[in-house]
Amino acid sequence: MNHSPNSKRYDAIVIGAGHNGLAAAAILAKSGLRVLVLERRGSLGGAAGAEEIFPDCQVSMGAQDAGLFLPQLVTELGLERLGLRWVETPALTTVFTSQGKPLTLWRDVHRTAQEIAQFSARDADRYPRFADQIFQSSAVLADLMTVTPPALPELRLGDLAVWLRPALHARRLGKKAFMALLRILPMSVADYLDEWFETPALKAALGSTSVIGQMQGPRAPGTAFLLLYHAIHAAHGETRSSRFVQGGPQALIQALTQSAREHGAEICAGLGVVKILIEDGRAIGVELENGERLFARATLSSLDPRRTLFDLVGAHNLELHVVREVKNIRLRGSLARLNLLLSNLPQFNIQASEFERLSGHVVICPDLDYLERAYDDAKYGRFSHKPFLDIVIPTLCDPSLAPDGNHLMNINVQFTPRWLEWDDLQRRALLDVVLNTLSTHVPELRQQILDIQLLTPLDLEREFSLSEGDIYQGQMGLDQLLFMRPIPGFPRYKMPLGDLYLCGAGAHPGGGLTGAPGYNAARQVLRKFSAQ
Amino acid sequence: MPVKYDVIVIGGGHNGLTAAAYLARAGLKTLVLERRHVLGGASVTEEIFPGFKFSVFSYVVSLLRPEIIRDLNLPLHGLTILPLESTLTPLPNGDYLYRGADHYESYRNIARFSPRDADAYEDYGRMMYFMAKAVKYILGIIPPDPASLHPADLNGLLNLARRFLGLEREQFYTLMRLMTMSSADFLQRWFESEPLLGTLSASGVIGTFLGPRSPGSAYVLLHHYMGEIDGVFRSWGFAKGGTGGIASAIASAARSFGAEIRLNSSVSRVLTRNGSATGVVLESGEEFSAKVVVSSLDPQQTFMKLIDPTLLPEEIVEALRLYVYRGSSGKVNLALDAAPKFACWPGQGPHLRGAISISPGVDYIEHAYDEAKYGRFSSRPYIDIVIPSMIDPDMAPPGKHVMSCFVQYAPYELADGDWDQQREAFGDAVINTLSEYIPNLKDILLYRQVLTPLDIERITGLTQGNIFQGELSLSQLFFLRPAPGLAKYRTPVRGYYQCGSAAYPGGGLSGATGRLAALQILRNEFGRRDKT
Repeated sequence: MNHSPNSKRYDAIVIGAGHNGLAAAAILAKSGLRVLVLERRGSLGGAAGAEEIFPDCQVSMGAQDAGLFLPQLVTELGLERLGLRWVETPALTTVFTSQGKPLTLWRDVHRTAQEIAQFSARDADRYPRFADQIFQSSAVLADLMTVTPPALPELRLGDLAVWLRPALHARRLGKKAFMALLRILPMSVADYLDEWFETPALKAALGSTSVIGQMQGPRAPGTAFLLLYHAIHAAHGETRSSRFVQGGPQALIQALTQSAREHGAEICAGLGVVKILIEDGRAIGVELENGERLFARATLSSLDPRRTLFDLVGAHNLELHVVREVKNIRLRGSLARLNLLLSNLPQFNIQASEFERLSGHVVICPDLDYLERAYDDAKYGRFSHKPFLDIVIPTLCDPSLAPDGNHLMNINVQFTPRWLEWDDLQRRALLDVVLNTLSTHVPELRQQILDIQLLTPLDLEREFSLSEGDIYQGQMGLDQLLFMRPIPGFPRYKMPLGDLYLCGAGAHPGGGLTGAPGYNAARQVLRKFSAQ
Repeated sequence: MPVKYDVIVIGGGHNGLTAAAYLARAGLKTLVLERRHVLGGASVTEEIFPGFKFSVFSYVVSLLRPEIIRDLNLPLHGLTILPLESTLTPLPNGDYLYRGADHYESYRNIARFSPRDADAYEDYGRMMYFMAKAVKYILGIIPPDPASLHPADLNGLLNLARRFLGLEREQFYTLMRLMTMSSADFLQRWFESEPLLGTLSASGVIGTFLGPRSPGSAYVLLHHYMGEIDGVFRSWGFAKGGTGGIASAIASAARSFGAEIRLNSSVSRVLTRNGSATGVVLESGEEFSAKVVVSSLDPQQTFMKLIDPTLLPEEIVEALRLYVYRGSSGKVNLALDAAPKFACWPGQGPHLRGAISISPGVDYIEHAYDEAKYGRFSSRPYIDIVIPSMIDPDMAPPGKHVMSCFVQYAPYELADGDWDQQREAFGDAVINTLSEYIPNLKDILLYRQVLTPLDIERITGLTQGNIFQGELSLSQLFFLRPAPGLAKYRTPVRGYYQCGSAAYPGGGLSGATGRLAALQILRNEFGRRDKT
């Protein structure tokens, strides 16, 4: 790994080597540009990277699932040639009812319907049609992933061309499905699922996905959109985009890194940027922690818009209305991450032969009221005393991630507000709540634990430079999407300063392990360069 | 051979009467049929206790469209609007926030809590004023169908797009935010002090089953800003003689144009032949025939009760099944022996002649919402109070007063018991809450009328007691209101129209739907283009 750049001048400098920064760098390098990536931390990947937290274990720090990753990036960069291997587990999501009975959404729609039939014949009958609606509607959103939003209201005719494909796609849905989509987008996920189903556990399995990373409960309007967002690349019959990477999300990071390097990009870890250099209202490069200055024709930041514009650019270099907008971006950390090293496979309330059920996401959330109450706590500034947990056991698909038959358990703990005094006492209290909640499902859990890593939203903020610990670099509410993301007036990855681009989750289309903001931003830069 | 009318209007609420007045004014032979013994629907004045007149349901006026007042010459028919000039927010600690007609006094009052808010309040007021002005146009048009390729719809969409894109940048983004944000988030862009945030955000939740932190509530904020009286936006008032005064003025105008109005005439069914409406039959068995029948009732009654739903396409029946009513408010009307004494401001003063809002903070209202989410009425509800007898002494015997309390939240569906069992407990919760701010309340209380959502449904016919004939949520607005394909007042039954609040532009005492429906009927069925 390089520790100092070979040169002073580049075509493009990318700040931050998270998955979006690396995706942008790889796309730019592939087009023949001289690209430098600067990462403050000692390892690459940001919240999608892994570290040897526990002895001989590569532990993913934030990401779990790579189901949202942009297919265009995989093909254009040939990531599969570079060793990327997908793992499609038979189970998508398993929940446990309040009586402790498991309900699994399988990748196979008929198997799921059979499973649901044990709870409700009516729901089982409706599930395939529901899956159809999810498939059709989320396909329209998938088209929007790579669209550069127009800068409304200063719309130019050329801006409309990019909308042609999604618009045609939407039209192909037919009038009925199109109107249904318009109707669903602003709904709450609870209302949406109530229209379809009666089984509480089924609604929880489907609906819990849409509040991850959000400071909103399932009754909040706009959460139905997130249900669709989390299904953008789902195959027909699947209701969640879920696939894992052999070797964990870090293997995806390695493939991206390798692709960028093969195309000539330089990637330096352990070199933090402290300032974006500005001359005549244009970004001309960066200044490093060690005082060194590097120059580029284009500067891309994968940090969130507030870090980028306030910390690196400086509010004094911005117009007042921009400062106000950036200050008002809704950033709300709501997630903590608990990683456990376990001596053996945790014994949930299932038959040993049924361990396939654990292969996807295991969700602790028996019904949507449980989820809403978990949010109620956070709404008033406490962490949930009965939290919603989204658990992945990565060692089930890839035993090599932990030694000697040990297992890893990655747990996203929702809703834990950032604005708590996250001292040792508070951390211990959170840990207790999570372990107690888990122990009701896995009674022997505490005895199985070999090692623990807890990342509070404050830790996420510090470790990964995520303002307010918001993993999406800005909440994914309807008010912060498309041309409203990251702030109104700057949706096209270009920032208020010339030659400065935003390429992280704070830009369209938003958060998750998608790579789409990086991909889109890189193409904007290339468009600019080819015009020059 | 019974008389044949040109148009029969079902329901003598303000929209039904408005439609009838416009139709009669165009020279059509028009009949209004009202089920109750009084006109007005939810805009009625009734002497519930001897000498005490209550605006039983709707209690203030602001949204009534000025063009209706002009076209129907309502002042000539007895409409007098008395201005409501102030808002008092008493606080639990004995302090209060007062905003009155005197601008500087309001400024000083707000500044006591936050000087920053006092400055922002002016900007905010100006911004909302211009927003309301800009959006007003949209309330006056018939919504185009986005999924249709009909030239009229395409043209309508184009016009609409031009309107939107023609907005000033700042207004455009503000409109986007108003449509998608929560009222608390939206207001926090301007304000920081709790009493002001609480009171302003309360108008975002009125009539909806949302809390101030639920996305989508900001739209209702704007909806309440659309009101204008004598060209002054955002002004509220009482109708002299109570809200029933509005209905009787419109009824008087309708009669002056030749419309016939019958009370105690409950329509049991709309008669159809070969898929066309031909008249109505009353519960008494009496029949009336007409070329056109228009219903001002809500969709549940208009489509499910008055006609045979099998006349409707299946997808419309399905869409109407999904239409959300969800009444969330109740009304408590009090007859008082003397003027109430507020702990924060004893004695009589201008504060008693304005609105009084029990909304000390956002969390207070949010807590009230939390209870309702799980099927209980709020033990400490948000209450909007007016004392009409302070301004209009005819409403109560000399020296005595009537106090009208709009109460939220009261969910139509209770988790335990039913409203007939819980009515008095609900009334007690309101009185107890009020007593915290008005210590002498229990001593001066003569009578109380407690109206739960179930009572509202029983008396007015509003399904689930929803005051807007269905929630004003983004998925139920504009071309989606009440269902795709039903947004233009027409129904799939030829000659059968709808003109209630469930049609565009939605609820509130505006009369806009009645007017727009009448204009549409004149154009479609009688080939007339009304100049107004």
